[in-house]
Formats: sequence, structure tokens, C-alpha cells
Amino acid sequence: MKKQIKRTILEQARDWFESDRKVILARVIQTWGSSPCPVGSNMIVNDKGEFFGSVSGGCVESNVIEECLDLLKNNNSFKQLEFKVSDDNAWNVGLACGGEIKIYIEKINS
Amino acid sequence: MKLEILNKIIQKKSSSQNFALLTNLTNGNSEIFEFGKLLSIDFENYKKQIENYHSLKKNGVIDGTQIFIQNFTKPIEVIIVGAVHIAQYLVDLFENLNFVITIVDPRKFFITDERFPNVKIINDWPEEIFKKLETDSNNALITLTHDPKIDDPALKHALKNKFFYIGALGSKKTHTKRCQRLKESGFTEEEIASIHGPIGIKLGGKSGPEIALSIVSQLVLESNKLLLNSQK
Repeated sequence: MKKQIKRTILEQARDWFESDRKVILARVIQTWGSSPCPVGSNMIVNDKGEFFGSVSGGCVESNVIEECLDLLKNNNSFKQLEFKVSDDNAWNVGLACGGEIKIYIEKINS
Repeated sequence: MKLEILNKIIQKKSSSQNFALLTNLTNGNSEIFEFGKLLSIDFENYKKQIENYHSLKKNGVIDGTQIFIQNFTKPIEVIIVGAVHIAQYLVDLFENLNFVITIVDPRKFFITDERFPNVKIINDWPEEIFKKLETDSNNALITLTHDPKIDDPALKHALKNKFFYIGALGSKKTHTKRCQRLKESGFTEEEIASIHGPIGIKLGGKSGPEIALSIVSQLVLESNKLLLNSQK
């Protein structure tokens, strides 16, 4: 029995693109302090809001997905996002670990 | 990013090459970088810094620029001698890490596609295999048979070619005897001491999966040390 080989994030992005989904790639480009995912970590989001991969330990993903969907809605091709340590108002999106990250999101196009 | 670039990355990753993805954060243009390749107008002014970051395997926004570089480094090649039960657990654990595995065993009944799907296997004596395989200090060796006939030639090859990681399974007693044989073959104390034996970091476990985990942990530790040292 052959085991199924796992798809990588980029392979999944290509698959989505080829099945006519709109695809956004999000990458961690800078970090300061302690941050859960190193520079180069990536996540993909499609126009249905499905995502794969990660750019933090779950702290900012929901916000990144929203930003990706906005990028599609506004027909833009790229944008930089910045996330800082969350303030005391709990439930705000932010990095509880005290780090800061910059994320670059961009649309995959033909 | 263009689909074309995405496809190129996927293809290059599977052919185990070193390369980088460059992105100009001011206009969104991306391209693939390799040593010796001409850069487009978006990046050519930063060639020196790009080469520097790439050779240090550093990911990030290059200081004083709006250029983001993401390196894709070829995986570390691990040669496992001994298609035994622990080797099967090793394959599972290595799956999500940046390593490529080759399993070697002269014993045909051990080394079968059924036991090792999706991994490169070679049914021959290590001595013969190393005549054909190109290896260097980026290789790692794990010996699992604790049979001197099979393990020793592989260990000797790895020592001579300065593999960055060499680990040998076997009890302290087995390892002492192994060291004695290598000494008699002319290897120095220092060379012999570079072998991780008994293999693995101490997790206290004795089961196959636990031993495999201790081996993978040690190899990951050593490969990260190697990367840190190269960036100093």
C-alpha cells in the first residue's frame, strides 16, 4: 500500500488556482521579539475563505484571512500587514507572546 | 505573484536545488534567484546583498531595501544503513522535516518496497553503494544493523568524507568494540569521538518509535547547530 504523500502549501495553492479558485499567498517577512512563526512561513487563502499553512501560532490568522478576502474584493494585488503585541483589551487580535510580525499578502495571478 | 513563478518553485524544490525567491515589496514583482543568474531591473542594484543573504541562508527583508528574500535550501541527505524496524519509524518522523532519505541494506528480505514505500532504497553492500553515491560534509549517516560487516564500511566512508552527522545504533559495549576496530583501521581518537554512539539523545525510551524519535531529535539538533555556525 502506497502512502499518500502530503501536499505542500505551494502545491495546494497551485491546485486551488487550477480549479479556478482565487488564491492569496501570505508570507511572514519580518519579525521582532518572540514570534511563533519564523520569517518565510506561509499560508494560503482562497476566495471561499479556506486556508492552509500558518503565519503565527493561531493568533492573527483570522485577521490575515479577512485581509486576504478584502484584497480580492478591492481587486488589489498585494499589501503589507503589521501585527503588534495585543493590548489589555482581551479578544483583540494580536500577538499574546509580545512579538511583532510583518506579513506580506499577494494574489496569485496568471 | 505569477503562477509561473509558483510552478518554478514547486519544480525546483523537488529537484533539490538551492535557490531563493525575491520579492520587491514596493511593486509586488517577484523572481527566482540562483547564483550566476542575471537579475531583472527590480533587483539588479542589490545583487551583492542578495548573494550575501543567500549564501548565509538568511530569510528576510534585506537591510536598507524593500527586497524580501526567501531561501529554499536543498534538503540534507540522510543515508540509513539497515532496513530494520527502526528505519521504518525514522521514515515517518523525517516526513515533515527537510531531509531526503536513502535506505541501504544488502539483505534483500529487509529492504522491500512494501516496507519502505516512497523512499529511495538500495539493496547492496554499503562499500559498493558509496563507490557510486556522491557524498560530502552535508550528508548524515545513521547505521542501524550493529553488524560490523555492514555498518563499519559505511562509518569509515562517512568519517573520511566528513559527514556532519554520524550516528551508530548499538549498546555501549557494542560501541566500545566498534571504536576499537576503527582505531585499528587508523582513525584518530577525535574522528572516532565524532560518531554519536550509542545514537540519539537520551529520552529514556526503549521502544522502536522512541529510539527513532531520539535519533531524529539529535540529527535536527546537529543540523541546526551547523546552520547557526555557518551564519556566524
